[in-house]
Amino acid sequence: MKNSRNDVPEAIGLDIGTSRIVSAERNSGDNKFSAQLNAFVTIPYSKITASTLKREQVPHSVSDGQIAVYGNESARMADLLGREIRRPMTRGVLNAGEPDSLAQIEEIVESVLGKASDKSPKVCFSIPAPPMGYEENLTYHEATIRQILSKLGYNDVRSINEGLAVIYGELEDSNYTGVGISCGGGLCNVALAYMSVPVLSFSIPKGGDFIDTSAASVTGELINRVRLAKEEHFHFNGHFTDKIQQAISVYYDDVIHSIVNALKDAFMNTRSVPKMGRPVPLVLSGGGALPGGFRDRFEKVLREASLPLAISEVRLAPEPLYSTAKGALIAALTE
Amino acid sequence: MERTFKPPGGLTRALVEWRAGQIADPVARLRFLRHSVGDRAIFKPADLWSRIPKRTYAVFGAALFLIPVVTIGDAGRFFRRGGITQAHSTARAVTDATKPAVWLVENGERYEVWSNGLRIERRTEIASEPRAYLAFPAGKEDHGSPEPRTQPAGIVYHTTESHQAPFEESQRNRLTLIGESLLSFVREQKAYNYVVDRFGRVFRIVKETDVAYHAGHSIWGDDRASYVNLNDSFLGVAVEGQSQPAEGASPANPAQIHALRILTEMLRARYHIPPGNCITHAQVSVSPVTRLVSYHTDWAAHFPYAELGLPDNYSIPLPSMARFGFGYDPGLQKLSGGSFWQGLLHTEERVRQDASAHGTTIPRYRETLLERYRQLLNQVKAKSQTSQEKAG
Repeated sequence: MKNSRNDVPEAIGLDIGTSRIVSAERNSGDNKFSAQLNAFVTIPYSKITASTLKREQVPHSVSDGQIAVYGNESARMADLLGREIRRPMTRGVLNAGEPDSLAQIEEIVESVLGKASDKSPKVCFSIPAPPMGYEENLTYHEATIRQILSKLGYNDVRSINEGLAVIYGELEDSNYTGVGISCGGGLCNVALAYMSVPVLSFSIPKGGDFIDTSAASVTGELINRVRLAKEEHFHFNGHFTDKIQQAISVYYDDVIHSIVNALKDAFMNTRSVPKMGRPVPLVLSGGGALPGGFRDRFEKVLREASLPLAISEVRLAPEPLYSTAKGALIAALTE
Repeated sequence: MERTFKPPGGLTRALVEWRAGQIADPVARLRFLRHSVGDRAIFKPADLWSRIPKRTYAVFGAALFLIPVVTIGDAGRFFRRGGITQAHSTARAVTDATKPAVWLVENGERYEVWSNGLRIERRTEIASEPRAYLAFPAGKEDHGSPEPRTQPAGIVYHTTESHQAPFEESQRNRLTLIGESLLSFVREQKAYNYVVDRFGRVFRIVKETDVAYHAGHSIWGDDRASYVNLNDSFLGVAVEGQSQPAEGASPANPAQIHALRILTEMLRARYHIPPGNCITHAQVSVSPVTRLVSYHTDWAAHFPYAELGLPDNYSIPLPSMARFGFGYDPGLQKLSGGSFWQGLLHTEERVRQDASAHGTTIPRYRETLLERYRQLLNQVKAKSQTSQEKAG
């Protein structure tokens, strides 16, 4: 856990995702990433438990007779205790149904960033796009994240659309022209940019959590177990002997089809899509893009859909978990 | 979320994309694009083309014709520093006709790149006192309220009058060594805001927002105001070189003239500097002791006004004479070129007419003007002292 930091990076990019909070920092020309699960699990307070956690340096906080273990250790702890992890965010924004969301997300952000020293670097954090067809109000979510950062001493703060951040992070070679998709825990964020200018962006309310919840409900497993199975073992190969893997495959396919259909609708119904002049690349990122074979599966569905916008290639970001944070960092550095 | 976005037209798009492709650093590339067509763009992309006057179409067209015949490396240099030969005449035509906006493309720690190809080396950049000065209203210098300002009102061009080696390839190491030594010296002295070295590289010495000690006792004036002691009010730009007025040659080589042109373009665009306020040290320098102009004589002749896209400012009557009663040494005729000498003669005639209009003799009228200068000088000194006390 970080407390007050001595180093002052030039800028920080922060991916505030439903599933993970990832920071990217530029220091002396090098990018450095740090990530924590955006989750926590609570256990009843006891002195022994508290001192064990402290000794093992497991990030936790104590409040109202409860110990909240947050960040990366929360998943392992939840698995050990046979409990579900709790999420400060849902569907890309703060979880209104989680009473401890503010306190816990504050802890997690601090564990990733630490408190700012006297000289505050520029920080750019990601915000989701509203679901397609909706003008969702993100004001509260965005203002709360700003408040949290301000409380930690970061005063030069701005936000960036998550899909656009993926484009800034991965599509430098096409002059930041193309489609960026972040397959996150709560949402899949999609953006199209033309020479760095965001042309359209939207999200679909399906992501890793949708796959986990749906697969858990049909298999009778704990959601957390499904999530671990998905992250550790799942890959697209078209043949599953394991029931959980097979269920995950079904719902993954559903997510991919939802993204492609939404893309097709967006391009067909949006007047503002400029003539690109040439096919544009599409980049996949986020934790949802990690399973082996995901890129191939996505491309197959995409080619079958015959989008009105010509796609030159479908590529997987080299480090899918860090794309949004990296793009946010680049955006911060250009300020 | 849908945004209304009209992409730039084919030609603009091609140029912007091509230029962006030359920028290796992803941050600098994104910054360039955001400033060119993105959220930081000065013009909406769709408006960009329509804002360019018709006559510059030909210039853009000519530039495009050049692209395929140069190598990528050459082309990169063309955009970064501007072409010295081919681009020179075209860019001058643009300057004269349209006064194009010049904007920052890359803002790195060690250098800046501007949209007209100007590259500014920043490794020599230092701070000094913040710029703050009084502009005395023209025609009401001794009874109007001076206007406090912080933006540069103009540019004074200098030569460094430093030691020179022959400009030959065999002298490369010596030229470099002398140049570095000069940069170190002017940095220590905070002597100029910019130095253009013999290879045409532009070094920022003192930040534009701060005062460089380049002009000493000096005077200039425009339609709006008179300026006394131009360190505070004018930017100092020096060319590494020695004045050689007797030999009839410019102290600046073609690379330096090119650099001066694009630097002047940038500074004029950035601070809205009128062409008449881009003048040489010899034109502004005065000696309060001898009461004569041109105490310093750098650029008393051969300043390449035309090549910089400026009018022949040598012919402007000197405000130091017309407004403040300074005289000139007849020996200046030998030192300066014809146009500067003509400017002096025009000024002398104007002083004669003004004295007559005031019903007094020329010597008495000059005494009145010199007294005006002393009063203004006292105000300037008092302000400078107050600023220093505040800073201290």
